[in-house]
Amino acid sequence: MKNMIDIFIVEDNKILSQTLKADIETTFAQKDVRIHLFESGGECIERFSKEKPPIVILDYHLDSKKAGAMDGIKVLDKLKKENSDVDVIMLTSEDNIAIAIKSFHHGASDYIVKSETQYKKINNSLFHLIKMREAKREAKRYKRLAVSFFLCISLIVVSIVVMQVFAPFLLR
Amino acid sequence: MMENEIRADGTICDLNYLSEMLGARKPLIKGIMDTFLEQIPVELSSMNEAIATTDYQSVKRYAHSMKSSVSILGITLLSPVLSEMESLGLAGTNMERIKELNVTLHWVCKEAMAELEAVKGDYI
Repeated sequence: MKNMIDIFIVEDNKILSQTLKADIETTFAQKDVRIHLFESGGECIERFSKEKPPIVILDYHLDSKKAGAMDGIKVLDKLKKENSDVDVIMLTSEDNIAIAIKSFHHGASDYIVKSETQYKKINNSLFHLIKMREAKREAKRYKRLAVSFFLCISLIVVSIVVMQVFAPFLLR
Repeated sequence: MMENEIRADGTICDLNYLSEMLGARKPLIKGIMDTFLEQIPVELSSMNEAIATTDYQSVKRYAHSMKSSVSILGITLLSPVLSEMESLGLAGTNMERIKELNVTLHWVCKEAMAELEAVKGDYI
Protein backbone atom coordinates (compact mmCIF):
# COMPACT_ATOMS: atom_id res chain seq x y z
CA MET A 1 0.00 0.00 0.00
CA LYS A 2 1.40 3.38 -1.02
CA ASN A 3 0.94 5.38 2.22
CA MET A 4 1.40 2.50 4.64
CA ILE A 5 3.65 3.50 7.55
CA ASP A 6 5.75 0.60 8.80
CA ILE A 7 6.97 0.94 12.38
CA PHE A 8 9.44 -1.48 13.94
CA ILE A 9 9.39 -1.96 17.73
CA VAL A 10 12.49 -3.60 19.21
CA GLU A 11 11.81 -4.53 22.83
CA ASP A 12 12.70 -7.73 24.66
CA ASN A 13 9.74 -7.48 27.06
CA LYS A 14 6.82 -8.96 25.11
CA ILE A 15 4.16 -7.58 27.47
CA LEU A 16 5.50 -4.07 26.97
CA SER A 17 5.92 -4.34 23.20
CA GLN A 18 2.46 -5.84 22.74
CA THR A 19 0.87 -3.08 24.85
CA LEU A 20 2.76 -0.46 22.87
CA LYS A 21 1.64 -2.03 19.58
CA ALA A 22 -2.00 -2.08 20.71
CA ASP A 23 -1.81 1.52 21.91
CA ILE A 24 -0.24 2.84 18.68
CA GLU A 25 -2.76 0.95 16.55
CA THR A 26 -5.60 2.45 18.62
CA THR A 27 -4.19 5.99 18.56
CA PHE A 28 -3.35 5.96 14.85
CA ALA A 29 -6.42 4.00 13.77
CA GLN A 30 -7.10 6.58 11.02
CA LYS A 31 -3.69 6.04 9.45
CA ASP A 32 -2.36 2.97 7.70
CA VAL A 33 0.11 1.98 10.38
CA ARG A 34 1.66 -1.48 10.40
CA ILE A 35 3.64 -2.52 13.48
CA HIS A 36 6.35 -5.18 13.45
CA LEU A 37 7.64 -6.55 16.77
CA PHE A 38 11.17 -7.80 17.40
CA GLU A 39 12.68 -9.15 20.58
CA SER A 40 16.29 -8.61 19.59
CA GLY A 41 18.40 -6.18 17.60
CA GLY A 42 19.60 -8.99 15.35
CA GLU A 43 16.06 -9.91 14.23
CA CYS A 44 15.28 -6.25 13.56
CA ILE A 45 18.42 -5.63 11.50
CA GLU A 46 17.73 -8.72 9.44
CA ARG A 47 14.30 -7.41 8.41
CA PHE A 48 15.26 -3.75 8.27
CA SER A 49 16.90 -3.74 4.85
CA LYS A 50 13.97 -5.66 3.36
CA GLU A 51 11.05 -3.67 4.82
CA LYS A 52 12.77 -0.25 5.00
CA PRO A 53 10.58 1.13 7.81
CA PRO A 54 10.69 4.93 8.22
CA ILE A 55 10.38 4.70 12.03
CA VAL A 56 11.92 2.39 14.63
CA ILE A 57 11.15 2.38 18.38
CA LEU A 58 14.19 0.89 20.03
CA ASP A 59 14.79 -0.20 23.62
CA TYR A 60 18.15 1.00 24.93
CA HIS A 61 18.56 -2.04 27.19
CA LEU A 62 18.01 -5.07 25.01
CA ASP A 63 19.80 -7.37 27.42
CA SER A 64 17.24 -7.53 30.24
CA LYS A 65 16.53 -11.18 29.43
CA LYS A 66 19.64 -12.27 27.64
CA ALA A 67 22.99 -11.14 29.00
CA GLY A 68 25.36 -10.04 26.26
CA ALA A 69 22.60 -9.24 23.73
CA MET A 70 23.36 -6.41 21.30
CA ASP A 71 22.55 -3.12 23.08
CA GLY A 72 20.34 -0.38 21.69
CA ILE A 73 23.18 1.95 20.65
CA LYS A 74 24.84 -0.77 18.55
CA VAL A 75 21.51 -1.49 16.86
CA LEU A 76 20.96 2.25 16.31
CA ASP A 77 24.38 2.54 14.62
CA LYS A 78 23.61 -0.36 12.29
CA LEU A 79 20.17 1.01 11.36
CA LYS A 80 21.55 4.48 10.66
CA LYS A 81 24.35 2.97 8.56
CA GLU A 82 21.78 1.05 6.51
CA ASN A 83 19.45 4.06 6.12
CA SER A 84 20.47 7.46 7.50
CA ASP A 85 16.92 8.75 6.91
CA VAL A 86 15.27 6.41 9.43
CA ASP A 87 13.79 8.02 12.58
CA VAL A 88 14.68 6.11 15.72
CA ILE A 89 12.92 6.72 19.05
CA MET A 90 15.06 5.41 21.89
CA LEU A 91 13.26 3.97 24.90
CA THR A 92 15.04 3.67 28.20
CA SER A 93 14.17 2.95 31.80
CA GLU A 94 16.82 5.35 33.07
CA ASP A 95 16.32 9.09 33.19
CA ASN A 96 19.98 9.63 32.47
CA ILE A 97 21.18 12.69 30.58
CA ALA A 98 24.38 10.91 29.49
CA ILE A 99 22.34 8.17 27.78
CA ALA A 100 20.10 10.80 26.17
CA ILE A 101 23.09 12.72 24.77
CA LYS A 102 24.73 9.50 23.60
CA SER A 103 21.51 8.46 21.82
CA PHE A 104 21.15 11.81 20.04
CA HIS A 105 24.85 11.79 19.19
CA HIS A 106 24.36 8.43 17.47
CA GLY A 107 21.43 9.79 15.46
CA ALA A 108 18.30 9.08 17.50
CA SER A 109 15.35 11.37 16.70
CA ASP A 110 13.87 11.20 20.19
CA TYR A 111 14.57 9.79 23.63
CA ILE A 112 11.77 8.62 25.93
CA VAL A 113 12.06 7.41 29.52
CA LYS A 114 9.82 4.46 30.39
CA SER A 115 7.26 5.69 32.89
CA GLU A 116 3.50 5.81 33.40
CA THR A 117 3.25 8.44 30.68
CA GLN A 118 5.49 6.65 28.19
CA TYR A 119 2.67 5.68 25.81
CA LYS A 120 1.43 9.25 25.53
CA LYS A 121 4.98 10.49 24.94
CA ILE A 122 5.67 7.84 22.32
CA ASN A 123 2.43 8.67 20.50
CA ASN A 124 3.28 12.40 20.58
CA SER A 125 6.70 11.67 19.19
CA LEU A 126 5.25 9.42 16.47
CA PHE A 127 2.66 12.07 15.61
CA HIS A 128 5.39 14.68 15.07
CA LEU A 129 7.63 12.33 13.10
CA ILE A 130 4.77 11.28 10.84
CA LYS A 131 3.75 14.95 10.32
CA MET A 132 7.35 15.85 9.45
CA ARG A 133 7.53 13.02 6.94
CA GLU A 134 4.23 14.05 5.37
CA ALA A 135 5.45 17.66 5.14
CA LYS A 136 8.69 16.54 3.49
CA ARG A 137 6.73 14.41 1.03
CA GLU A 138 4.45 17.36 0.18
CA ALA A 139 7.45 19.66 -0.26
CA LYS A 140 9.01 17.15 -2.66
CA ARG A 141 5.73 16.94 -4.59
CA TYR A 142 5.51 20.75 -4.93
CA LYS A 143 9.14 20.88 -6.00
CA ARG A 144 8.43 18.33 -8.73
CA LEU A 145 5.34 20.29 -9.82
CA ALA A 146 7.29 23.55 -9.93
CA VAL A 147 10.07 21.96 -12.00
CA SER A 148 7.52 20.45 -14.42
CA PHE A 149 5.76 23.81 -14.77
CA PHE A 150 9.05 25.60 -15.44
CA LEU A 151 10.02 22.98 -18.06
CA CYS A 152 6.65 23.37 -19.83
CA ILE A 153 6.97 27.18 -19.94
CA SER A 154 10.58 26.87 -21.19
CA LEU A 155 9.48 24.44 -23.88
CA ILE A 156 6.72 26.81 -25.05
CA VAL A 157 9.11 29.80 -25.13
CA VAL A 158 11.76 27.82 -27.02
CA SER A 159 9.13 26.58 -29.50
CA ILE A 160 7.95 30.16 -30.13
CA VAL A 161 11.52 31.38 -30.65
CA VAL A 162 12.31 28.49 -33.03
CA MET A 163 9.15 29.16 -35.01
CA GLN A 164 9.93 32.88 -35.09
CA VAL A 165 13.35 32.12 -36.58
CA PHE A 166 12.62 29.26 -38.95
CA ALA A 167 8.91 29.54 -39.78
CA PRO A 168 7.70 33.05 -38.91
CA PHE A 169 4.71 32.66 -41.21
CA LEU A 170 3.20 30.16 -38.78
CA LEU A 171 2.86 32.84 -36.13
CA ARG A 172 1.10 35.35 -38.39
CA MET B 1 1.65 -9.53 55.06
CA MET B 2 0.60 -8.61 51.54
CA GLU B 3 -3.05 -9.34 52.26
CA ASN B 4 -3.21 -5.94 53.96
CA GLU B 5 -2.01 -4.21 50.80
CA ILE B 6 -4.36 -5.54 48.18
CA ARG B 7 -6.81 -3.15 46.53
CA ALA B 8 -9.99 -2.00 48.24
CA ASP B 9 -12.11 -4.22 45.96
CA GLY B 10 -10.01 -7.23 46.95
CA THR B 11 -8.17 -7.51 43.65
CA ILE B 12 -4.46 -7.32 42.90
CA CYS B 13 -4.60 -6.28 39.24
CA ASP B 14 -5.95 -2.92 38.19
CA LEU B 15 -7.09 -3.23 34.59
CA ASN B 16 -8.49 0.30 34.40
CA TYR B 17 -5.26 1.61 32.91
CA LEU B 18 -5.36 -0.89 30.04
CA SER B 19 -9.10 -0.41 29.54
CA GLU B 20 -8.71 3.38 29.37
CA MET B 21 -5.82 3.06 26.96
CA LEU B 22 -7.39 0.56 24.59
CA GLY B 23 -11.04 1.43 25.03
CA ALA B 24 -13.47 -1.12 23.72
CA ARG B 25 -10.82 -3.20 21.97
CA LYS B 26 -11.19 -6.10 24.38
CA PRO B 27 -9.33 -8.72 22.30
CA LEU B 28 -6.21 -6.57 22.53
CA ILE B 29 -6.50 -6.54 26.33
CA LYS B 30 -6.98 -10.30 26.33
CA GLY B 31 -3.89 -10.68 24.13
CA ILE B 32 -1.84 -8.72 26.66
CA MET B 33 -3.24 -10.86 29.51
CA ASP B 34 -2.30 -14.03 27.62
CA THR B 35 1.23 -12.74 27.06
CA PHE B 36 1.48 -11.89 30.77
CA LEU B 37 0.28 -15.37 31.76
CA GLU B 38 2.83 -16.89 29.41
CA GLN B 39 5.77 -14.63 30.26
CA ILE B 40 5.54 -14.26 34.05
CA PRO B 41 6.18 -17.96 34.93
CA VAL B 42 9.30 -17.84 32.72
CA GLU B 43 10.50 -14.67 34.45
CA LEU B 44 9.83 -16.13 37.90
CA SER B 45 11.74 -19.24 37.02
CA SER B 46 14.65 -17.15 35.70
CA MET B 47 14.62 -15.17 38.94
CA ASN B 48 14.74 -18.39 41.00
CA GLU B 49 17.70 -19.56 38.97
CA ALA B 50 19.52 -16.24 39.43
CA ILE B 51 18.95 -16.43 43.20
CA ALA B 52 20.04 -20.09 43.35
CA THR B 53 23.32 -19.21 41.62
CA THR B 54 23.78 -15.95 43.62
CA ASP B 55 23.84 -14.05 40.34
CA TYR B 56 23.13 -10.48 41.50
CA GLN B 57 23.46 -9.05 38.01
CA SER B 58 20.67 -11.28 36.71
CA VAL B 59 18.50 -10.55 39.76
CA LYS B 60 18.80 -6.86 38.85
CA ARG B 61 18.02 -7.50 35.16
CA TYR B 62 14.96 -9.68 35.78
CA ALA B 63 13.57 -7.39 38.52
CA HIS B 64 13.95 -4.46 36.16
CA SER B 65 12.16 -6.24 33.32
CA MET B 66 9.35 -7.46 35.58
CA LYS B 67 8.73 -3.93 36.86
CA SER B 68 7.51 -2.89 33.40
CA SER B 69 5.42 -6.07 33.00
CA VAL B 70 3.55 -5.77 36.30
CA SER B 71 2.92 -2.04 35.98
CA ILE B 72 0.96 -2.60 32.73
CA LEU B 73 -1.45 -4.89 34.56
CA GLY B 74 -1.67 -2.40 37.43
CA ILE B 75 -0.06 -4.68 40.04
CA THR B 76 1.17 -1.70 42.00
CA LEU B 77 1.97 -3.57 45.19
CA LEU B 78 4.86 -5.28 43.41
CA SER B 79 6.55 -2.03 42.41
CA PRO B 80 8.37 -1.49 45.76
CA VAL B 81 9.24 -5.22 45.95
CA LEU B 82 10.83 -5.25 42.50
CA SER B 83 12.52 -1.88 43.03
CA GLU B 84 14.17 -3.21 46.18
CA MET B 85 15.24 -6.42 44.43
CA GLU B 86 16.70 -4.37 41.60
CA SER B 87 18.60 -2.11 44.02
CA LEU B 88 19.97 -5.05 45.98
CA GLY B 89 20.94 -6.78 42.73
CA LEU B 90 22.73 -3.64 41.58
CA ALA B 91 24.52 -3.34 44.93
CA GLY B 92 25.36 -7.04 44.80
CA THR B 93 24.44 -7.57 48.43
CA ASN B 94 21.95 -9.13 50.90
CA MET B 95 20.82 -12.29 49.12
CA GLU B 96 18.78 -13.24 52.18
CA ARG B 97 16.58 -10.16 51.75
CA ILE B 98 16.30 -10.87 48.01
CA LYS B 99 15.06 -14.38 48.88
CA GLU B 100 12.41 -12.92 51.22
CA LEU B 101 11.26 -10.51 48.53
CA ASN B 102 11.19 -13.34 46.02
CA VAL B 103 8.67 -15.21 48.19
CA THR B 104 6.41 -12.15 48.12
CA LEU B 105 6.95 -11.77 44.38
CA HIS B 106 5.86 -15.36 43.75
CA TRP B 107 2.83 -15.08 46.01
CA VAL B 108 1.56 -11.88 44.37
CA CYS B 109 2.23 -13.15 40.84
CA LYS B 110 0.39 -16.39 41.57
CA GLU B 111 -2.63 -14.45 42.87
CA ALA B 112 -2.51 -12.03 39.93
CA MET B 113 -2.36 -14.88 37.41
CA ALA B 114 -5.35 -16.61 39.03
CA GLU B 115 -7.23 -13.32 38.89
CA LEU B 116 -6.43 -12.80 35.20
CA GLU B 117 -7.38 -16.38 34.32
CA ALA B 118 -10.74 -15.76 35.99
CA VAL B 119 -11.52 -12.50 34.16
CA LYS B 120 -9.94 -12.97 30.76
CA GLY B 121 -13.08 -14.66 29.45
CA ASP B 122 -14.82 -11.27 29.75
CA TYR B 123 -12.42 -9.80 27.20
CA ILE B 124 -13.29 -11.84 24.14
